[in-house]
Amino acid sequence: MAGRTTMARLGNGLLDLFTFLIVAGFLFPYLFMVSTAFKSRLETFAYPPVWLDFKPTFENFSNIFSDLNILFYMQNSAIIAIASTFLTMLVAVPATYAFARFDFRLKEAAAFAFLGLQMVPGISIVFALFFVAQSLGLYDTHIFLILVYLLWNIPYAIWMLRGFVQAIPADLEEAAMIDGCTRFQAFLKITLPLMMGGLAATSILIFIGVWNEFSLAFFLTSLQSRTMPTTIGFFMTHSGIKWGPMFATATLGTLPVVVFGLIVRRHFVSALTFGAVKGG
Amino acid sequence: MTSRGTSRAPLLLITPAFAVVFVLAAYSLFWLIQLSLTDLTFGQPFDQGVPVGLENFRWLLFDPSSTFWPAARLTGIYVLGTLVPELVLGLGIALLLNRQMRLRSVYTAALIIPIVLMPAMVGMIARLYFSHDGLINFGIETLAGVKLNWGGRELALMAVILVDIWEWTPFFILILLAGLQTLPVEAYEAAKVDGASNWQAFRHITLPMLLPLILTALVLRFMDVLRIFDVIFAMFGGGPGTATTTLPLYIYRTTMLAEDVGRGSAASVMLIVMIVASTLLLVRLRQRVMFQA
Repeated sequence: MAGRTTMARLGNGLLDLFTFLIVAGFLFPYLFMVSTAFKSRLETFAYPPVWLDFKPTFENFSNIFSDLNILFYMQNSAIIAIASTFLTMLVAVPATYAFARFDFRLKEAAAFAFLGLQMVPGISIVFALFFVAQSLGLYDTHIFLILVYLLWNIPYAIWMLRGFVQAIPADLEEAAMIDGCTRFQAFLKITLPLMMGGLAATSILIFIGVWNEFSLAFFLTSLQSRTMPTTIGFFMTHSGIKWGPMFATATLGTLPVVVFGLIVRRHFVSALTFGAVKGG
Repeated sequence: MTSRGTSRAPLLLITPAFAVVFVLAAYSLFWLIQLSLTDLTFGQPFDQGVPVGLENFRWLLFDPSSTFWPAARLTGIYVLGTLVPELVLGLGIALLLNRQMRLRSVYTAALIIPIVLMPAMVGMIARLYFSHDGLINFGIETLAGVKLNWGGRELALMAVILVDIWEWTPFFILILLAGLQTLPVEAYEAAKVDGASNWQAFRHITLPMLLPLILTALVLRFMDVLRIFDVIFAMFGGGPGTATTTLPLYIYRTTMLAEDVGRGSAASVMLIVMIVASTLLLVRLRQRVMFQA
């Protein structure tokens, strides 16, 4: 019996180690990317690769700040992502409230219509949008991208937020209305404060999506409104790819989403499934 | 307190959201379909295309010189080559994490990172990792003593698939782990009393109860993987040759490189039709399987 428990403990220990190695394996390419951002050109191409054993340099970062003016593109990304997220919430919150609190004709059909429109891939309408933008004189403007992203953001927000509103008992609002509040006041005073967590999580997830988006931003902007992900073209030069600055940009560009992703990690499973599955 | 009846409130609340989404979708789809019926070339003013009816669709689908079907086939390989390993690995790793109590929240936090990184940058970084003297070849040389040519025709698609597996296996892990944690402990205790082995418990309790979630995850991922553009674009741009030209890359190459807006738009319409049709089919299938289970 004692032998068996020792064996079981050993087996468990091995499985724990195995689990650790797998998770570390998923994390490693990212950590290696961050470390490469601090390497000199020679160390970047060293074979066998160097991982921690090198002298860190900020040369790649100073390069992208001075030569590439990376702050300009970060600023574009931030403006577009924040504005699009804000507009999304402005129209999605009332719509979600209606979906969660009222019964009306064609309710489910309307919810699925939103989801269906969300299925249209960006790459298949981006060139049509290119001509739309040109005909409206909106090519390479912030506002055009901000609006275009609403097509995907609004349905996503409605499906995400629905669960958060439904989790708040309607009785609370009813009680407030009996006390003389209008429905709108009840929403403002009771429901809205209670759904702040969900609102924040959904906003962050939409922000991440817009911040990372490539194909629409790439083909609908040229110089004025270029965003972070679309700067990849700048590193491909005649003399090859400028890997050091490229990795520095990737490190800088992914930093906010990694931080935000970790902040909303509790909501991540619902986020990935349009609220269909609740996370643990 | 779900209110019924004639209240206008819900209509008023939904209209702004619906109007914005509907106008955006209708307007861009209208343009797309209109462009797909012309012979417009890129660089021409957008109103200079001559209407050609369904000629672009005929060419795409039936002309011997069209490479639409090879691109569709490549897309099929890409979909299967990513989804199957991601599901199998995801389920396996979720089971491993499910027995791990102490570090679980640290592990799930770490697994979020590949999913949130911007795919365009991931593609660029993978390009260096998969280069001749890159990280991947270093690993393979250490283990097997050879270096592979990932940028070549034979392996480029494999490289792109491996990157997707790295990015999205955590998607299956996180969802299935959430599912595993909702399974009732009693069922397993009863099975243990009846003398069931671990494998039998997995086969007859875990798998059937997890099936709806597995199918949901597959459908969601399927919709997404059909449209992946950025990673492949950054890694190989659809090349070498047409080795990584899946349908999204095919649309880009036809419209921007061959400058054929008409045919590119027709291919875009086809991609939308294929996504909608196959997703509806999968959702149907999912309902049938769940109904039988």
